Amino acid sequence: MPDSDDNIFAARLLYARDTLRKLKQSELAEKAGLPSTSISHFENPKGTRKPSFDNLRRLANALEVTTDYLIGLSDDHVGMPVADQLYRDMKNLTDQDKALAQHMIKKLLEKNSTKE
Amino acid sequence: MSDSRLKDATLHAEKLVRVEGLTLPIDVMALAKSQEIAVEAKPASARGVSGMLLRAGNHFAIAYATHVKSVGFQRFSVAHELGHFFLPGHPDHVFRGGSTIHESQAGFGSRDQIELEADHFAAGLLMPSHLFKFEAGKFSDGLVAIENVAERCQTSLTASAIRYAELTDAAVAVIVSSGTSVDYCFSSRTLRGIRGYKHPTKGSALPRDSLTFAFNKTPDGITNGLRDDDSCDLIAWFKAEDEIEASEEVVGLGEYGKTLTIITADVPDEDDE
Repeated sequence: MPDSDDNIFAARLLYARDTLRKLKQSELAEKAGLPSTSISHFENPKGTRKPSFDNLRRLANALEVTTDYLIGLSDDHVGMPVADQLYRDMKNLTDQDKALAQHMIKKLLEKNSTKE
Repeated sequence: MSDSRLKDATLHAEKLVRVEGLTLPIDVMALAKSQEIAVEAKPASARGVSGMLLRAGNHFAIAYATHVKSVGFQRFSVAHELGHFFLPGHPDHVFRGGSTIHESQAGFGSRDQIELEADHFAAGLLMPSHLFKFEAGKFSDGLVAIENVAERCQTSLTASAIRYAELTDAAVAVIVSSGTSVDYCFSSRTLRGIRGYKHPTKGSALPRDSLTFAFNKTPDGITNGLRDDDSCDLIAWFKAEDEIEASEEVVGLGEYGKTLTIITADVPDEDDE
């Protein structure tokens, strides 16, 4: 699939829906609990509409791929998960925060492996 | 910063409240649970960040700080992180690569914009306009309305006051100050519409003859959360062209070392003139 696209998400969503799962936009919309128009907007490589984490997870679950694959963090659509951390007040991040984050991410990774 | 994106963030939260049929006080923990987002409290001894959103694959978790005892603060922190989960475009700003921390993301710039969006989402989630206005409408304009709505929404007095200034039809200003100067001020649309209105900017001096100026001279009053009220004139606070009498209600914000002032004026409608 064309990974060189400016909008990797749009390209991968289209590829996963159309080529991997052979679903129409309306079918994916129903499975993901999103409006059909959202799928159309997301798949438009020139579109400005960006997904939320909520959207990404719904789409990933409906397409049985990982969110990492959809956003271009992994080339394997069913591969091992990548961990992200989003902090508020980054400058205040302490060693204790880092340790807690690692502990919680470990638990999330265990959840992922339990599901697989 | 984009004001329309901030408004959109608030509207996004309010739509979620309506779609999910949520009622006051909004149960942010139940909302997170319904989205299969694990929520964990940081130990009270831990300071550091007020909240974090963590992701591994398709699973999410939120950690929130508890060193600030205020339930309102803690609920706002969780709601803020939910904002990062629900708002469009936020995945683009996530720090990537496991435990690696990208310092360049800190400080000003695009990250500030998404933090502001998450704050606006949190305000809209915890204090949705349709429910907030209904509650505030049960009370007289000013501090009494703010205090009652804060209790109903389980939000901090300051956050509730800011939301009140944003939503009320009354002529109200919410000023947070320390020492002799203004930290920030939010005024309602009606107040901003008075002739000659000049907005008190960050760092501007408090009016020397104001109750707030006198109140701030006694730090114990602030620390102990004392309150006072008096009448004032909008000319002194906002350079209004006409003499308009108003009430000035002052509350010490305790350990924050700041003072919350609510100015409420009886501005006649144009139709009445």
